[in-house]
Amino acid sequence: MPSIEQKDKSGQDYWRSLNELADTPDFQEFVRREFPNNADTLMGEDRRSFLKVMAASFALAGLTSCRWPEEKIVPYAHRPDNRTPGKPVYFATAMEKGGVATGLLVKSVDGRPVKVEGNPSHPNSLGGATPQELASVLEMYDPDRSQAVVYQTGKQVVSKSWEQWSEFIENHSAALRQKSGAGLYFLSEATASPTILRLRKKIEEQYPQAKWFEYEAISDDNEREGTRAVFGQPYRPLPDFKQAKIILSLDSDFLGAHPAALAWSRQWAEMRNPDGAFMNRLYVAESMFTSTGAMADHREALPAGQIATLAQALIARILQHESLKASSSLDDLKGIYSTAPATHFPVDVLDALVDDLVHHQGESVILAGSRQPASVHAIAHLLNHILGNAGKSIQFAPAPEPLRPSHKDAIAEVASALQGGGVDTLVILGGNPAFNAPVELDFPGLIAKAKHSIHLSLYRDETSMLCEWHVPRAHTLETWGDARGYDGTVSSVQPLIAPLYDGKTSCEVLGSMVEGEPVRAYDIVRKTFEDSRYKPTEKEWRTFLHDGIVADSTFEKRAPAVDIAGVRSISGSSISHGEGFELSLYEDLFVYDGRFANNGWLQETPDFITKLTWDNALLIAPSTADELDLNEEDVVKITAGERSIEAPVSILPGMAPNTGAIALGYGRTHGGRIADGAGVNTFAIRPNGESILQGVTLIATGKKYALAATQDHHAIDDIGMIQEGDLSEYKENPEFAQEEGAHYPKLDVWEPHEYNNHKWGMTIDLNQCTGCNACVTACQAENNIPIVGKEQVTWGREMHWIRVDRYFKGDPGKPTVTPQPMTCVHCENAPCEQVCPVQATVHNDEGLNVMVYNRCVGTRYCSNNCPVKVRRFNFFNFNYGLKEVEKLRMNPEVTVRMRGVMEKCTMCTQRIEAVKIDAKNNRRPIRDGEIVTACEQACPTKAITFGDLNDENSRVTKKTNDSRNYSILDVLYLKPRLTYLAKIRNPHPALANASEETHGKHGHDSHS
Amino acid sequence: MVTTAIREIDNTQNDPRQRTELITGGNTFTTVTEKVCSIVEDPKTSQTWFVMFGVSLSFLGVLGLMIAYLFWTGVGVWGVNNPVGWGFAIINFVFWVGIGHAGTLISAILFLFRQKWRTSINRFAEAMTIFAVMCAGIFPGIHIGRPWLAFYLFPYPNAMQMWPNFRSPLLWDVFAVSTYATVSVMFWYVGMVPDLATLRDRAKHPIRKFAYGLASLGWRGSHRHWHRHEVVYLLLAALATPLVLSVHSVVSFDFAVSQLPGWHTTIFPPYFVAGAIFGGFAMVLTLIIPTRHFLNLKEIITLRHIENMNKVLLFTSCVVGYAYSIEFFMAWYSADKFELFTFLNRALGPYSWAYFIMVFCNVVAPQVLWFKYCRTNILITFIVANCVNVGMWFERFVIVVTSLSRDFLPSSWDLYYPTMVDILTFAGSFGLFFTCFLLFLRFLPAVAMAEVKTVLPSAHLEHGHHRGAGDYHGDIPEAHKED
Repeated sequence: MPSIEQKDKSGQDYWRSLNELADTPDFQEFVRREFPNNADTLMGEDRRSFLKVMAASFALAGLTSCRWPEEKIVPYAHRPDNRTPGKPVYFATAMEKGGVATGLLVKSVDGRPVKVEGNPSHPNSLGGATPQELASVLEMYDPDRSQAVVYQTGKQVVSKSWEQWSEFIENHSAALRQKSGAGLYFLSEATASPTILRLRKKIEEQYPQAKWFEYEAISDDNEREGTRAVFGQPYRPLPDFKQAKIILSLDSDFLGAHPAALAWSRQWAEMRNPDGAFMNRLYVAESMFTSTGAMADHREALPAGQIATLAQALIARILQHESLKASSSLDDLKGIYSTAPATHFPVDVLDALVDDLVHHQGESVILAGSRQPASVHAIAHLLNHILGNAGKSIQFAPAPEPLRPSHKDAIAEVASALQGGGVDTLVILGGNPAFNAPVELDFPGLIAKAKHSIHLSLYRDETSMLCEWHVPRAHTLETWGDARGYDGTVSSVQPLIAPLYDGKTSCEVLGSMVEGEPVRAYDIVRKTFEDSRYKPTEKEWRTFLHDGIVADSTFEKRAPAVDIAGVRSISGSSISHGEGFELSLYEDLFVYDGRFANNGWLQETPDFITKLTWDNALLIAPSTADELDLNEEDVVKITAGERSIEAPVSILPGMAPNTGAIALGYGRTHGGRIADGAGVNTFAIRPNGESILQGVTLIATGKKYALAATQDHHAIDDIGMIQEGDLSEYKENPEFAQEEGAHYPKLDVWEPHEYNNHKWGMTIDLNQCTGCNACVTACQAENNIPIVGKEQVTWGREMHWIRVDRYFKGDPGKPTVTPQPMTCVHCENAPCEQVCPVQATVHNDEGLNVMVYNRCVGTRYCSNNCPVKVRRFNFFNFNYGLKEVEKLRMNPEVTVRMRGVMEKCTMCTQRIEAVKIDAKNNRRPIRDGEIVTACEQACPTKAITFGDLNDENSRVTKKTNDSRNYSILDVLYLKPRLTYLAKIRNPHPALANASEETHGKHGHDSHS
Repeated sequence: MVTTAIREIDNTQNDPRQRTELITGGNTFTTVTEKVCSIVEDPKTSQTWFVMFGVSLSFLGVLGLMIAYLFWTGVGVWGVNNPVGWGFAIINFVFWVGIGHAGTLISAILFLFRQKWRTSINRFAEAMTIFAVMCAGIFPGIHIGRPWLAFYLFPYPNAMQMWPNFRSPLLWDVFAVSTYATVSVMFWYVGMVPDLATLRDRAKHPIRKFAYGLASLGWRGSHRHWHRHEVVYLLLAALATPLVLSVHSVVSFDFAVSQLPGWHTTIFPPYFVAGAIFGGFAMVLTLIIPTRHFLNLKEIITLRHIENMNKVLLFTSCVVGYAYSIEFFMAWYSADKFELFTFLNRALGPYSWAYFIMVFCNVVAPQVLWFKYCRTNILITFIVANCVNVGMWFERFVIVVTSLSRDFLPSSWDLYYPTMVDILTFAGSFGLFFTCFLLFLRFLPAVAMAEVKTVLPSAHLEHGHHRGAGDYHGDIPEAHKED
């Protein structure tokens, strides 16, 4: 029974009121955490007055947030030029994750950031954004963020004022300087911020004995080591997909999880146009299904531990190929990789791959995934070198900080220092090592061995709970900073709002430890640029803030030479062939390493392939499930080495046999009300930062655990929702997609509508959609879509207006998969409009099917009659009980819907109107591409196109007239305004027939 | 209300030589009046009644609580979800409306067809109709998301200049059901006026005198009154007859007009009407069998009545069974993959258990009624009638839920499970129904005395030479003309 009274820890009651929460242990725990010194008095008889205080403080928080960024604060006695209250303004900023920044444009309305978008001029975004970035605005307003400095000794936990903190850090720094920093350890999350680099140098000067380490649970260290072996120093590969005709991914999710995925997927998608100069061909070998695998022309499921064998076999085959036989410069390599080991990779695909690679020398890209050991990276980049890609279709830039120890070595060093008692003061800047450090180090137990420990973080999390000092961190959107993109572009970080809870940034904390540094983040960052080679004038500085980037500040690109000695050493490293069951621990596209786990939008966005929300699960192939006699939602005990965890099973076609995969970052214990209890903590079995565990055992526990998936498993499309074909088929018959439709006379029941002015339409190119879910999160942010919690998702009541349907095709052992974004298709013959008894859903004169919330009484008849079921009903008042600070996040241009009302995609009618009003005021026509819907804006590959179908030259009209264009459910004669472009795959001609056979075998058994 | 065991008198033979008695036990005008009125006039309310009333009232209370909880919290307290936007509420609505069919059918259509046996049961059936329509009326009102705005469905002039959408079958529903309810109440009341006057005349307590006096509208039993009464009754019967057919046709439009596979079929109007008659007669039987036992009415509601109703049950069961099979045929014949899938999914999908309950209860179980033994066996009749009640509820469940849970796009499929609130609301609606029904039995004449008297032999003593056989006897107007 979907009782809303249940208060499960996984945030099901996210939207319920504070009052109801007050009696739960959760709430009391929350109060203790946030107000440790007063909790007992507050939780006593005087709880009611406490609630008043809370309410008042939230209201005050609301007031603070209405300020302009501190450095520009202007009281509105006189309205500043070019600033109209209520009119949104955009600021360029950047968000850093794992040391790589993505440029963002943040929309601010009256001093409140409400929507994050990608910055089109930032090379790491190109206008697209990932769900994590899009959802960062929700994180900023999260009421669970820590709001006070906390000091704890032993069992005593007290909150301290910022003054007390400053006093402590100044005195303590002075004392440390006396000892020239002996015993001072910094453990930072990865960052490429020039300001942090500058401050580090100062730290080195002022505390010569201090040590600085970086740790990230998810890191590209294997790539660094691989390139170090091959080229003598670590490099960052920068492929140019515009020149790549053949792409091979060895377990690399370069379209999904990779830090540069936004930019790369754009480039990749541009080369997927079947009418373009060429269409690239993507080969993927991977153990689990990633977006990249779903997009592949040839995907082979191979246990992650066997990728190395494949890589060796491939390089040996290529080196032996006759076209390379002659080149004597490769003799050394031929000696090293003389024999091709046996691999489970299908021979015909390997033949095709070798054939493609040798015939496209200088036009291919080979990438290895961050999970793969350094030896695989070494081979991948050797291949790039041998095939002449280096300098053409792939470039190399020296990786920043070539000499830093790898992340897992770094954390191990800190741990051993702690163990040895050599740590006087441990300063942890961001990160959450107590949660995600390698498990065998027992990091949580070691923190107490430091005399003093300081943790700067957004939440009072697992690490903060163990540290002497917890310092609330300012959110990216709240403060000044700088960062660098994947290609090195220097990016600005600027505040959209004064820190809601008075947090500090890493550079402010470091600044307070360094003599001669300004206090405020702005001044610290500004100083970095004054001291740098840029030395911006005021105008240049403003341009930098406006654009968000420093032009031409990328890393210098080089064509590195191969270091044969290094290759020899790494080729000798043993390769595990995978004995027994193999488990991959993968990076979750939403919660990442756990840091985004308290973000309701991210928790509730269904994973692109598993469609799971609110949990991670052990993914195994149907054949493995049969072998082990496991069913969906069975809880298994996963034992790796000496450690074990229990996790539910989810069966996923396309997994490599006898392997499993489970996401990292779930199962937080002190992450906040959303994060706590959602999923299983897989860091608990992760030794030494490894992501591929061999010899894992699974034991069924006999328990069941309900998972909240938004789509049935094994949904196989046998009704033509997805039209797809091979490139050769398309060249022969470009209109194949339209032939599926109904072939009888189509008659309108009613007089067709007339559209004299605009006629809005949208197309989605299935050839370009990677299923990244950015559209889902962007829509959620733009349209004030509530999250409903795990239990409501289980009941089938998720509210997303746009969803990404995923259809499997072919043999469940070796399926292909196609994502299809599905939202209201705005039928001209809309079934919903005809059945609403109160005319709450009607057609407007621009062809949009509009919802009149005020008129809706909630019969749900429209939803029943909607053939694509995109209407969403407010079964409860999902927005009830939002805290004041959460309300600030709402887009003021979109109605917040109450309970009992139907809602659905409006094609961002508010964005249409904003442009129409502006165009009308300026007496000009609306330009094509001027109106950008939220989903279109966020889409990294530009698969979504919106525009005016009455405009012959608009992009959307052209795409609608494209031969690949088709309408879904043509048999119903809906005349949808959202049409799709058929997916074209580009298999190797030698394999095309084989894949055709699998495509032909659509499983009709799904419909039973 | 003394319960006396009376042996069942078999009056089911059709011997053309001898007229069968419709009312057994040698009852006269006086005894009929006495028997019916004593139920209402008995100063001591029986304990059985109190127990049953208490139980019903408790369920009514549950209904009230469930509705209050629903209004307070939202439709989410039910099991409805995204593909399955309609659940128990609409199933119950159609179920109760269907039950509400038998009353008017018995009163109006059988009246026009001169089926005199109807006189013993029509009052029950009409009362049942009204209470069932009351139960049905609750559900569309409470199932909407914002019930406080339910009045938007009515075409009332307003400052917004907004009218409802006349293309929507839900709006037609509003008109069809409200018209049906109005006409049914009028028909029931008009027919009851002479009997209320009888009660008024026999009443001793001033409050009873006043109440029955008020309700009987000054009825004096004059020829003029009788003349007006019979004209009005005939006209109302003529008015109600098309409504019997239209109301469930319109209810079926809720489904048939949509384009959902499994809903979008032209067979629905006749199929729903037949189903409604089927379900309605089953409910009349369910109610009448215990009532005639407890209220000592076995001489008035005889085996012959029960057998006649069983024949209707058997016939409509066959119609419904035919509809079930023709749906499958049409799904195959249409060559529409969605249609075909929907029907296969009904029979073989996750709700196949519901489908087979429906088929067993509605088509298989009533087949025993081919045997006269079963038709005249009270226990078997009672079991079969209850089977049909269950089966007809499941028929609506199958139609509403299986079609919605798996429609066009496999990606949006989801299953539906009721919550406790769903189940208790449904149970609570029975509380409302039985509370009303028990009050009806205690305070209003449960049998149409005036009409029953017309089929007594004593009404036709002077026309003894001209007797029809079987049920066609006692055709007073004809008999008068010949004289």
